[in-house]
Amino acid sequence: MTQDFYRPGTSLIHRWNPVTTLSLSLTLVVTAFASQALWLPAALLVFVVFPAALVSGVFRRLLAWLARFLLPVILLLFVIQGLYHQDGPLLDLGPVGVHLDGVLFATRTALRLLVLTGAFLLLLFTTHPGELMTALVAHGMPPKISYLVSATMQIVPAFRQRAHSILDAQRARGLRTAAGPIGRVRALVPLVGPLVLGALSEVDERAVAMEARAFGATTRRTSYTVIADSAAQRVSRWSMLVITIAVIVLSATGVIR
Amino acid sequence: MRPAAKIAAGTVVVLATYVYLVLERPGASGTGALVALAGYLLGSVLIGLGAVDRLSTSSVTLIPVAMAINIVVGQLALATGIPLYLDSIGIVIAGVLAGPAAGAATGVLTCVIWGLTANPTIMPFAVTAAEIGVAAGLIGMLGGFRKPWWAALAGLLTGVVSALVSAPISAFVYGGVTTSAGTTAITGAFQAYGASLFAATTLQGLLSDPLDKTVTFTVAFVILLALPARFRQRFAFARRYRVFATGVGSEGR
Repeated sequence: MTQDFYRPGTSLIHRWNPVTTLSLSLTLVVTAFASQALWLPAALLVFVVFPAALVSGVFRRLLAWLARFLLPVILLLFVIQGLYHQDGPLLDLGPVGVHLDGVLFATRTALRLLVLTGAFLLLLFTTHPGELMTALVAHGMPPKISYLVSATMQIVPAFRQRAHSILDAQRARGLRTAAGPIGRVRALVPLVGPLVLGALSEVDERAVAMEARAFGATTRRTSYTVIADSAAQRVSRWSMLVITIAVIVLSATGVIR
Repeated sequence: MRPAAKIAAGTVVVLATYVYLVLERPGASGTGALVALAGYLLGSVLIGLGAVDRLSTSSVTLIPVAMAINIVVGQLALATGIPLYLDSIGIVIAGVLAGPAAGAATGVLTCVIWGLTANPTIMPFAVTAAEIGVAAGLIGMLGGFRKPWWAALAGLLTGVVSALVSAPISAFVYGGVTTSAGTTAITGAFQAYGASLFAATTLQGLLSDPLDKTVTFTVAFVILLALPARFRQRFAFARRYRVFATGVGSEGR
């Protein structure tokens, strides 16, 4: 289930500093949610997210993953909001009816979700998680967060491997793993127990080893890898921050509707 | 800013967002969505940053394991098709062993990692995960993890709070729809009976979250009970607040 969203590439967006791509994603999301107008999220999708995906060569994967994450959600959205919304029906079908308000609401929510998910997928497709963490630490994020994220992403595959070996071991001892919902829950017990206890017992040694390597030091560290940045990107990041704040303020004060 | 001030500021932002949404009743189409999204995002970033600052090295080594437990057990639960999420067992374990800050950090970062590796649509719910971690820590402080029935009851209450906290995101960002047709139909049914979208997602959450968190807290209690007492007592938080029952199984103190 865990995906490696990132594929190496040489496009303009791949070469951006990860923080620039992250700022773009956040600005897109905030702007998409700022207005009731349907054209705004639609325009962001067609004129920013899709062209950016085309430029970085991830357009087809973006569409495939958007469909995978959002198609069921959007279908349900239209069924539920289209039918259940209050006010007069657009189309009366006996017990149920299609309501204009509901359809508008569903369209708006669907477009916003497409921008939200599309903007983040764009970030994940073009940015290696490790580089994102390194770049964020260079911009002042505590290095502890970078360690926590990177360590977890390394632990999970090992953990899943261990879950498989425990499952095999329990099967060898006669555990039955496929027999109805109750049987499946019961099969979880001899699996989760050894898995969790084994993992927790390793915590101790690691703490001592890390303390010995000055993990708790509070001085600012230098980085082994340096992530490229440019004056143009710095300017664009600051302007995106200003746009984001302006959009939030204008929307909260009712200037944008 | 000091860590405690960041956590306090984050909590105030989240509460203010929630109170604004309840009192002002903005439509889900207009400012409601932006306020819910921006308020919760800012709140969870502040809480996460403040919580991480407070962590000791032993907590820092516990948290990746706790997050791996969340992810792997959550996926196992999903694979077995049981109608529970069970994706916050690690958050509860971290909160109870190492305190509310460790629980909050585990919660926020689990959502970030889920977002980075499996499904980016989960990220707006980071505040709920932080709330579960903080609740687990506070309940540990109050002695709620000394007896199984107290742990189960605490899980029930935490589930009620989770339902309230996540309702604005479900309503204003996702329009009341989840990937599960069952919960979506329930939300829709509440709306058909005249509830607003916000009220409908709150009610739907109140039907599913308390059960899930009761089971989660009970499972976490059993796991913690099975841990060697020497390991449990290694955490300064668990020692200081005497989180675990003394007597059977605590001979290592």
